[in-house]
Amino acid sequence: MSAPDQRVPFSYARLALIAGNTFLEAVRQKLFNLMLLLAVGLVASVQAFRAFNFGSSELKFIFDYGLGALVFFGSALTVTATAQLFFSEIESRTALTLLAKPVWRTEFIFGKLLGVWAVVGVFCALVTGLLIGLIAYREHALMAANPEMFTGAGRPVPYGDIVIVGVLQWLKFGVLAAATLLIASFSNTNLYTVIVGFFVLVICHLQYIAVEAYAHLTSLPLRVLVATLSHVFPNFQVFNLAEQIGPDSGVDGLVALRVAAYALTYIFVLGGLAVYSFRQREI
Amino acid sequence: MPPAPAPPAAVPPASARPATAAIELRGLTKDFPVGLRGVKLRAVDNLTLDVPAGQVFGLLGPNGSGKSTTIKVILGLLEPTLGTCRVFGVPSGQVASRRNVGYLPESPYFYRYLSGEELVRFYARVCGVPRARLAARVGEVIEWVGLTGAAGRRVGTYSKGMLQRIGLAQALVHDPRLIILDEPTAGVDPVGSAEISAMILRLKAEGKTVLITSHLLAQIEDVCDRIAILDRGRLILAGTVAELVGRRDRQALLVETLPEAELAELRAWLAARGRTLEAVEQPRTRLDQLFLREIARSEGQREGRS
Repeated sequence: MSAPDQRVPFSYARLALIAGNTFLEAVRQKLFNLMLLLAVGLVASVQAFRAFNFGSSELKFIFDYGLGALVFFGSALTVTATAQLFFSEIESRTALTLLAKPVWRTEFIFGKLLGVWAVVGVFCALVTGLLIGLIAYREHALMAANPEMFTGAGRPVPYGDIVIVGVLQWLKFGVLAAATLLIASFSNTNLYTVIVGFFVLVICHLQYIAVEAYAHLTSLPLRVLVATLSHVFPNFQVFNLAEQIGPDSGVDGLVALRVAAYALTYIFVLGGLAVYSFRQREI
Repeated sequence: MPPAPAPPAAVPPASARPATAAIELRGLTKDFPVGLRGVKLRAVDNLTLDVPAGQVFGLLGPNGSGKSTTIKVILGLLEPTLGTCRVFGVPSGQVASRRNVGYLPESPYFYRYLSGEELVRFYARVCGVPRARLAARVGEVIEWVGLTGAAGRRVGTYSKGMLQRIGLAQALVHDPRLIILDEPTAGVDPVGSAEISAMILRLKAEGKTVLITSHLLAQIEDVCDRIAILDRGRLILAGTVAELVGRRDRQALLVETLPEAELAELRAWLAARGRTLEAVEQPRTRLDQLFLREIARSEGQREGRS
């Protein structure tokens, strides 16, 4: 018996729906609110630590401190939220009801990924916005108190560059979310996914050290191995363009674009691998 | 290993089969690897079965008999190891096979942070219900399952019975031709269970095909046209409920209670014709019917007082 042609095409609308639902579920959970509260609290508390600026200028210290809070809590939020939002669907069997509809597993995985990424995006936007507000507040106070120190042209803080740094961190979290989702796609438990996700985070932050250490290897197989690993694990240090921000320099726009392309490539590839793995999964 | 021939009782003769069966299983076998050495556990073993369109079909069996695995294969959530599965003629591995299917899993837990209405709306949009009809359709199915008053509440606050109902609403929102209910009355009280039975019969009256698994055999007997019994993944019995449960060689006569003397006369009358009165029993109301009647009476009295 031949069936009528009723192919169900891949749908961006369904993907967006799943992403939107994931986002809604995440922001209504305590985890997101807790992470946001902690990050906001930490950034806001920088006022109390201004005296401990270790010799760097106060505004630079506030920026570094706030960026540290963004990176730390953003990473924690990305790994835990990705694992939790995936496994909550699997363990409570809501994934069954969704995948029993005319839904592609590709739509499910990329929907989850985009949903988590949107949550982290809101987190990054709020923390970066707060950081900019704090810096602007202190900058204004310092300019009023010491006008002779700010005789140059314009305001001393490159706010555009801070926004770029925030966006780059968000892109990095996208890569981390895709990697965590790849782990979740074959893992059996939430805990395993979270632990391995944090390991991946550490490896990605440190991989440049290993690559540099092994750059002068003479053994060809080892060089191939190191080269392969350096591509398997993205280098999270490339997202750290905050170092470029100084009194006379800012973030190179071209470099930032290349880093964005680097992140999007990894997100797409890791997401694709997660789809492949999830399609083999029996749920 | 090629599948063995299918038991003949599972598939009605070709002349008796509808043009398109809602579900066709042919030699369906599903193995799961177990442990590090990958030893295979056979969950479904060479199952051949047709679920005719427009009927209520009960899939029965003890725990671990392969019912849920069979359902997951039908829904395309699992790949068969051997054999085929088609839903309205479309192989179950294809996404298109799920276009006409609504599914209520056993003990569902939906997105707790959505309201009932948001949940049903989400599933409706996933299934492609047109925007112009969305609000009306969502309202319709919520009313159909009797949750209009609680549609604005978060799903996390719903009782077990309400979860089953909202689950049924999400399964029906895209007006599917086949509805699969996996233990729809698990953990539900007799009142909720009776309401679900009534909904199943309404679905049948609307021409839907319903595949149901349940451990409540009385419920299955009440609502199903056909049943199949699985044990350890194998089909051991299939047919219509009337065929399988009815006894054509016996009759029960219901009369007012007879005095002993008249009963003796009746025995003698039958004996004179070579018949035997095999049993004289006091008919009993089924406990679930008694429960429902008393609950209804109590609620009626409460409403009368208020």
